[in-house]
Amino acid sequence: MSKESLQSLAERLVAYGRKGGASQIEVTVEEGRERNAFVFGGEVQNLTEAGARNVNMRVFVDGKAATASSSDLAEATLTRLVDGAIARARLGSADPFSGLPQAQPLGAKAEELAIHDPAIGEVATEKLIERARQLETIGLADTRVKKSLGATVGTREGSRTLVNSQGFSGSFRRSAIFCNVGFQAGEGQNLLQESWGDASRRLADLESPEVVARKAVERTVRLIGARPVPTQKVPMVLEPAMTAWVLGFLARCVGGDAIARRQSVFVDKLGQQVGNELVTIVDDGLLKGGIGTEPFDGEGVPCRTTTVVEKGILKSYLLDTYWGRKLKLPSTGNSNGVNNLFWKAGSSTPAEIVKSVDKGLLLTGVIGLGLMPTTGDMSVGAFGLWIEKGEIVHPVAEVTISGNLGEMLKGVQMVGNDLEMRDSVDGPTVKFAEITVGGKGAA
Amino acid sequence: MHEMDRRELLKLAGGGAGVVIASSFFADRLLAGSVPASGVEMLQGRFGVGPEVMKKVLTAALSKGGDYADLYFEHKMSNSVSMEDDIIKESTEDVTLGVGIRVLKGTQTGFAYSSDLSPERMQQAALTAAAIASSPAPVSLPAFKEVALPHQLYTLDRPCAETPLGDKIAMVREGYQAAKANDPRITKVQVTLTDELQYVVIANSEGLLVGDTRPQARYVVSATAEANGKRGSGRDNAGGRIGMAYFTRPGLTPKEIGARAAKDALALLEAENPVAGEQPVVLGSKNSGVMVHEAVGHPLEGDSNWRKTSIMWDKLGKMVANPMVTIYDDATIPNYRGTLNVDDEGTPTRNVMLIEKGKLVGYLHDRLSARTLGLPANGHGRRMSFAHIPIPRMGNTMLGPGEATPEDIIKSVKKGFYAHSFQGGQVEDTGKFTFSVNLGYMIEDGKLTKPVKNATLVGTNLQILQEVEMIANDTQIFLGSCGKEGQWAAVTAGTPTFKIRQMTVGGRA
Repeated sequence: MSKESLQSLAERLVAYGRKGGASQIEVTVEEGRERNAFVFGGEVQNLTEAGARNVNMRVFVDGKAATASSSDLAEATLTRLVDGAIARARLGSADPFSGLPQAQPLGAKAEELAIHDPAIGEVATEKLIERARQLETIGLADTRVKKSLGATVGTREGSRTLVNSQGFSGSFRRSAIFCNVGFQAGEGQNLLQESWGDASRRLADLESPEVVARKAVERTVRLIGARPVPTQKVPMVLEPAMTAWVLGFLARCVGGDAIARRQSVFVDKLGQQVGNELVTIVDDGLLKGGIGTEPFDGEGVPCRTTTVVEKGILKSYLLDTYWGRKLKLPSTGNSNGVNNLFWKAGSSTPAEIVKSVDKGLLLTGVIGLGLMPTTGDMSVGAFGLWIEKGEIVHPVAEVTISGNLGEMLKGVQMVGNDLEMRDSVDGPTVKFAEITVGGKGAA
Repeated sequence: MHEMDRRELLKLAGGGAGVVIASSFFADRLLAGSVPASGVEMLQGRFGVGPEVMKKVLTAALSKGGDYADLYFEHKMSNSVSMEDDIIKESTEDVTLGVGIRVLKGTQTGFAYSSDLSPERMQQAALTAAAIASSPAPVSLPAFKEVALPHQLYTLDRPCAETPLGDKIAMVREGYQAAKANDPRITKVQVTLTDELQYVVIANSEGLLVGDTRPQARYVVSATAEANGKRGSGRDNAGGRIGMAYFTRPGLTPKEIGARAAKDALALLEAENPVAGEQPVVLGSKNSGVMVHEAVGHPLEGDSNWRKTSIMWDKLGKMVANPMVTIYDDATIPNYRGTLNVDDEGTPTRNVMLIEKGKLVGYLHDRLSARTLGLPANGHGRRMSFAHIPIPRMGNTMLGPGEATPEDIIKSVKKGFYAHSFQGGQVEDTGKFTFSVNLGYMIEDGKLTKPVKNATLVGTNLQILQEVEMIANDTQIFLGSCGKEGQWAAVTAGTPTFKIRQMTVGGRA
């Protein structure tokens, strides 16, 4: 369907809902096309190419909410869903905080954000396959690698059209190309695996297969022979990807829902010191070409730049309209979560940071789900490299790391100058004062 | 980027919102008092897709030389209603409609899908999927034989989808009040009732035509307690491929579910961080199914074994566990969340023995992994939706009971850790895994003492399976949603209480 027909479908449904008794109604039409080429053992194992559409609707009747969605775009189905949503809303409870945002001017036009590259849709599927093959071949050429876990190259292209009864009507297109590859190394029962990948909104900006494959190999083989260390408290250095992992957890903790539900370590902390002066964290929704960049969020609220933490002071939560109203704050345009969240770079080189550690862990990977927004407690399985006297001495596995986000942010000792915005959450190398490593030895 | 080769099991946050007013086409029929239409009838009656159309689409799918093709039609109605802040916050109704078209050529898969069931669109998608092969050959397909389901393992009586929203709201309120009334320290309660009715029709180039109508419902309560600056969250749930009557059974009523969630939240208020290090670990029966799911189930899924990336790929017929360990995946247990009549490739489900008295005897297969390894498919090919390819998945993964009692096991530990409830776990093909314990207890001199929070258990499956030392007889079932390669699947896993001789427990020293 053309942009115009998606828009007019959304408009018709909004009008239908208003006529049927909805005080407010929002209709979002998503349409997209995906391609995925998965190569394993030099052969295409799976080639997917398809398009799909989906309609999402939110209806309010006197402050009572109901939602509906459908991948069946038959108008009869959609109007039936609108009728049903209105009937359901009437059976719910009035919530003074519910409702749609008023239309606001956008911070940037979609065309200015460089998030759609027509070349991505046009690149031949054979090229995607070829790139996936290269990723695997380059990696397997390294004799330290035992097996490939396969390589994927894919593209996404799609649009979002949003129309609501408050006067908002907008639409934008975006595209992305991505790749990743994983390898296994090691002997006997002590196998290790790692992967690496890249994603870009512009075809030309995707990292070359050489760079991605070599990084995946390096990340894998450096873990060969990994072993636990005794249980102890030590400083911990996070590689950029691991800083991004911590930021992902922080994002959950500063989300309006977690705060308003009092399920976050940052409840009642706005304007207060939550970290030391080395901690500055920003969400940039309008970063040109950013993987998380969008002109407006899932409710039509303009995306923007929000400083979450500035030199250790908690400056803002990440909010949508509903949770914002509950907290008596305006939406920050984050109804879809973070846009491009990053930890501002510091001045140290990664090498200097490792050098500064007398005894500690360079964290390279984590496994597990032990993150508790309510308390900020973190406890997960860890992979990494053991540092002694500023040198990496051996790889580490089968240990746990435990700490508390609130305490860790107050103990940041060094921040690297190696921030690269390649994903929607990114950070530089960061050194924390102390973490508990759980490993060998009796409790 | 980093998840591509990880598998995880999440205990659903009750999120998603799920259930609704029955207003669909099917529900109209239900209300008219008839049995739900079969998927095959529905497809023909409502969407005009009959055997002739399917045959045309399959012919296009094989037109470039593929050796097998299948169509997976899905029409699903999902509903939810949720309560929070003392109000009925929201209800949802979601409709999923589409077809997935898959072509196999050796071990290669071509795949396309469409949410538009018009013959032209399906034809187009079929030609896209066909392109995995490149040596056109004439196609001749056998006539379809619609097969009867091998068993009917769901309760289609009084499906939740048929229940009026008002009744569901009353049910949600009941659990909410039960969690709240328990204690003034309970500051937050969320309750969600979700249900779905999924109609599936599978047609393949071997002439198979089968339809399956699958109900699924789940009732989840989560509670947060707060006192003296400390907070804790507990969660409990019940559900399966069941009708509304299920929630009146003892132990499964909204009241009891709510009260249990509150109890865990309150226990966490008193909880301390664990003592880090290696120690004996007792895995309680309530939730420890997550352990067999991660440590055994995932590494025994066929895909990572024919690709030889699972640490188990070369262990078939070998002893991999202590001889007291027997583990199987049974997707035929009536009404369980992970149960299916036929899998998403139309293969009848069955009970698959994985580890028998310590010996590895089987893998979980979809059609592709089975034929690649030259073994029969065993009903474990599953897909998240029409827009996903089938992959080998678990259903209901069980550790067989032993002869000890839970009391014997706890008594046998002088100093150790007891895991009561989990947030979830994660495992790699290498067998390295992690479990996150929501609430645990210290074991001191054979007794459960202080509650413990934030504990993490790590290990390698081959090593831990050897270290299983005692198994009790009090099996309980963990309801989960399992993520693999971006696809979520409803599963359960069950264990009795059991003991691991020595395991690394993470915590804060």
